[in-house]
Amino acid sequence: MTKARKENSTGVLSPLWETVFLLLPILTALAALCIGRIGIAPADMFRSLWAHLAKGELLPDQMETVLWKIRFPRILLALLVGAGLSTAGCAFQSLFSNPLATPDTLGVASGASFGAALGLLIGLNLIGVQLISLFFGVIAVLLTWISGAGRGRGLNSMVLAGIMVGSLFSALVSLIKFTADTETKLPSITYWLMGSLDSAGYGTLLLGAPWILAGILVLYLLRWRLNVLPLSEEEAKASGTNIRALRIVSVLCATAITASCVSMCGQVGWVGLLVPHICRMKFGNNHLSLLPASIFTGAAFLVIVDTVARSASAAEIPISILTAIIGAPFFIILMRRSGGWQM
Amino acid sequence: MNLKVENASFSYRKGKTVIKGLNFGASSGDLIAILGPNGAGKTTLLRCIMGFLKWSSGKSTLDGEDIRSIPGRRFWSRVAYVPQARGVFAAYPAEEMILLGRTNRMGIFSVPKAEDLDRVHELMEKMHISRLAGRKCTEMSGGELQMILIARALAAEPELLILDEPESNLDFRNQLIVLDTMSELAANGICCIFNTHYPAHALMRASKALLFCRGGEYLFGETGHVVTEANIEKAFGVKAVIGEVETPGNIYKSIIPLKVTEPGAGMVGHSDGAGRVIAVISLISSNFAAGGRINALLHEYRRYVVGRMGMPYRECGVFILNVTLDGPENEIRSLSHKLGILPGVHGKVTFAEPEGGKAVDEP
Repeated sequence: MTKARKENSTGVLSPLWETVFLLLPILTALAALCIGRIGIAPADMFRSLWAHLAKGELLPDQMETVLWKIRFPRILLALLVGAGLSTAGCAFQSLFSNPLATPDTLGVASGASFGAALGLLIGLNLIGVQLISLFFGVIAVLLTWISGAGRGRGLNSMVLAGIMVGSLFSALVSLIKFTADTETKLPSITYWLMGSLDSAGYGTLLLGAPWILAGILVLYLLRWRLNVLPLSEEEAKASGTNIRALRIVSVLCATAITASCVSMCGQVGWVGLLVPHICRMKFGNNHLSLLPASIFTGAAFLVIVDTVARSASAAEIPISILTAIIGAPFFIILMRRSGGWQM
Repeated sequence: MNLKVENASFSYRKGKTVIKGLNFGASSGDLIAILGPNGAGKTTLLRCIMGFLKWSSGKSTLDGEDIRSIPGRRFWSRVAYVPQARGVFAAYPAEEMILLGRTNRMGIFSVPKAEDLDRVHELMEKMHISRLAGRKCTEMSGGELQMILIARALAAEPELLILDEPESNLDFRNQLIVLDTMSELAANGICCIFNTHYPAHALMRASKALLFCRGGEYLFGETGHVVTEANIEKAFGVKAVIGEVETPGNIYKSIIPLKVTEPGAGMVGHSDGAGRVIAVISLISSNFAAGGRINALLHEYRRYVVGRMGMPYRECGVFILNVTLDGPENEIRSLSHKLGILPGVHGKVTFAEPEGGKAVDEP
């Protein structure tokens, strides 16, 4: 504990950790490019990479397709979604001073899931599903905001409203599953809801990535200000912060991130809860170090999980199952070894 | 820095008036205690001053400017707030918690710079809390946390410090540390306004006091004029005696509650002792920095000053001051109280009636 404190007594990541965090996603991404049902030797991968960046000989067509048409966009998506959900979760935990807060606390993921299920039910194409999902994610948060926010009401009423709106949309999703054709539609809806990154293509990314990147960027720029969020409202005001504006901006960023993540790859559970907490155990609650740590750890974590998901067995394993199976025990071990943490 | 509350009233929506037609002012170097029974509006007043609550009528101004029209960042770079050290606190280490106090000196997207951290370290050194640097605020004792919260407020380099019951829930020693800190700050020209449940603390330390009754009546003035046995009984419904304890260096006032009575109305600023006296205030001060403050006070009361003799006694690190005064007894008592609450200043006053009467020792 004391050792961890010394490392970042100024609240900033040490140069060593900065290097680790910069390299971690890159290295995992490069490793993930090689791993899969078609194994590609690292040397071949680097040769192909070099060929694309500068000059050289390309690999056989099949391998090129696997590397750059299938795996690369998928890895990009995993990096983005992992980083995004961790950032959003981290912001929500601080915003609501609640260690159980997740990116879905305000109902955005349930709303987006409903949108996607609806899109699949009426047979939209992938981009259509993504758009309608994004739309309903935002609608869900708006509903939560309208019902929960108000003068003199604490943030807890927002959390409660979020739970209500979330369960409302979950019920609607069940309704859609109930009415869906069990032969054609239901499996695709169910599978989609469990989360999968296999829809990844450059088109999907182009539509979803800007929201995630913008959300992460704004929250990252605000990282020192985010430290004010867990304080009481009056203390926050007394720090010269427009706390209302800060809360609204945090919610907007987290919503943009989460809705676009869900719209691209369904519900990826746990990342938004596990990763920020793992980082809190190591780096404390100061967002100067916590936020970058969450971003990079989240990115690397999801790449690893997704690589396992697509290569562990002949059929792809839905990612939410794996995030929980890999994440939960790891989390418990870490919690017991580090003696826990406090918000 | 001049804070003024002008004809201000506050009532909650249900119509219960908490504060009625309040007027009071504070300026640099004042240490003002706000006293009153539970529910009389002490905390409400602080919240209104800082703009957390809106006055129903009237206003508070900072150097003549209505506080509600001052943009948040500018206001909070001059005013700092120390909340009660109880309830839930974020689990930041002390150092980071104090650093958060620098936030209002930063832009919205800025992060603390090395000099911000240096300021924090200096401050912790000065307040003797460096050993707490890495400790989490959730793992501290009440006294430690209170010092951290005061440090956080000071990190903003404020001109006005508002403290909500800073010595409640603290033990003896920590109470004294907090009171000493406030005296020190006031002596250095920072205006401190604090809520307290201890009239004795007001008598010991505050230059002015604001005493609330339930129902909105209030009395504001020199501590000695406001905190009297009669007013305490009316405000709190407690019969109490104010006694004096003499030490070799000072005379301290203390208050002992005797029994519960009925609270009443009609508090008056003490005006006994308006009679003319001759007095000598003798001071020994080990605090050379207090010299400016002492001179300012003597200047304020110059119409009563007949003569003064001062000399440094450097071998012992003190200076000695004798002031002869001729004026109303209560004014001279006020002056000696204000001198006596300066940190590091020891002093007593000797009174005589102009035509030879009996002499008494007073603080």
